[in-house]
Amino acid sequence: MRVLIAEDETLIRLDLKGMLESAGLQVCAEARDGVEAVELADSESPDLAVLDVKMPRLDGIEAARRILDERPMPIVIVSAFTERSLVRRAAEAGVYGYLAKPFREEDLLPAIATARARFDQLSAVREQADTLADALAARKAIERAKGLLMEHQGLSEQDAFVRLRRASQTSGRPMRVIAEAIIETLS
Amino acid sequence: MKILIAEDETLIRLDLRAILERHGFTVCAEARDGVEAVELARSTQPDAALLDVRMPNLDGIEAARRIYAERPLPIVMLTAFRDRATVGKAVAAGVFGYLLKPFREGDVAPALYAATARHAELLAARRRLGTEQPKRIDLDLPSPSGHAWPVRIERAEDGSLDVRVVQR
Repeated sequence: MRVLIAEDETLIRLDLKGMLESAGLQVCAEARDGVEAVELADSESPDLAVLDVKMPRLDGIEAARRILDERPMPIVIVSAFTERSLVRRAAEAGVYGYLAKPFREEDLLPAIATARARFDQLSAVREQADTLADALAARKAIERAKGLLMEHQGLSEQDAFVRLRRASQTSGRPMRVIAEAIIETLS
Repeated sequence: MKILIAEDETLIRLDLRAILERHGFTVCAEARDGVEAVELARSTQPDAALLDVRMPNLDGIEAARRIYAERPLPIVMLTAFRDRATVGKAVAAGVFGYLLKPFREGDVAPALYAATARHAELLAARRRLGTEQPKRIDLDLPSPSGHAWPVRIERAEDGSLDVRVVQR
């Protein structure tokens, strides 16, 4: 698993890196502030990010929000500050874990494991829902186009379907695209 | 936010309750073992649960699995076990957080807030999947002869799919 870490204090960053590497994780990017974290999340495509909160230029919570706007990933925050307002902001931004500094290896590794697992679970459910939504939208468009062909060209349901399928085969475009084009023209 | 806590050691349980109340949570139930945790989760309907792993009668990971199966809610484990196998079992049971004992006060509320927010996201995605998943789909499949075969796909109560050619 490739991990991005963001921490402005060099010693803590090295410590964090050592901890992660000794647990078998690969630290693929080290950011020294929030802006760098956002850039490195984009260029290095890590599997997970561990972010400090108080950093120059851009704080870790705002960095988390911007990273997640670009691409969802599991994020764990480590911070000396655990006031409710900060934690709430982080939770709303979409982080999976929030640990108080000085963080301990025995808390960090399970936090990473749960973050990764729950993130993968959510991604799988979302992907299924998206696939299903696409399939249903395609089916609706094809039904509608079939109906329009039957109405406008006096075709039977089966002939209308065959017409759609041929158009899809000869043009090499999906049935949904053909159906949408027919709906556009005929309705 | 109503929290269920499960911890067999009285002193730690009292400590945990005080910490949660100090951070604005309501402790709606205190279980002393896993069986009590499952029962209290059912009767008091907490918003989140904080469970110890090693408890009499039923361990916290199995309790987490049973609680989650009855009604999904964010669960955070609180335990002295730090070995990969135990963490892995808890992760597989669906927990959203895992804190090591002796736990630090500063970690408890943040873990619950993060767990609750992410769990709400998961539930929303599942609801979307549920509402978009119709019980029955009728569609036409092309046959080798160029005709359309009307096919019906039906989902049974147990989630299995039944696919057959139908006459319209």
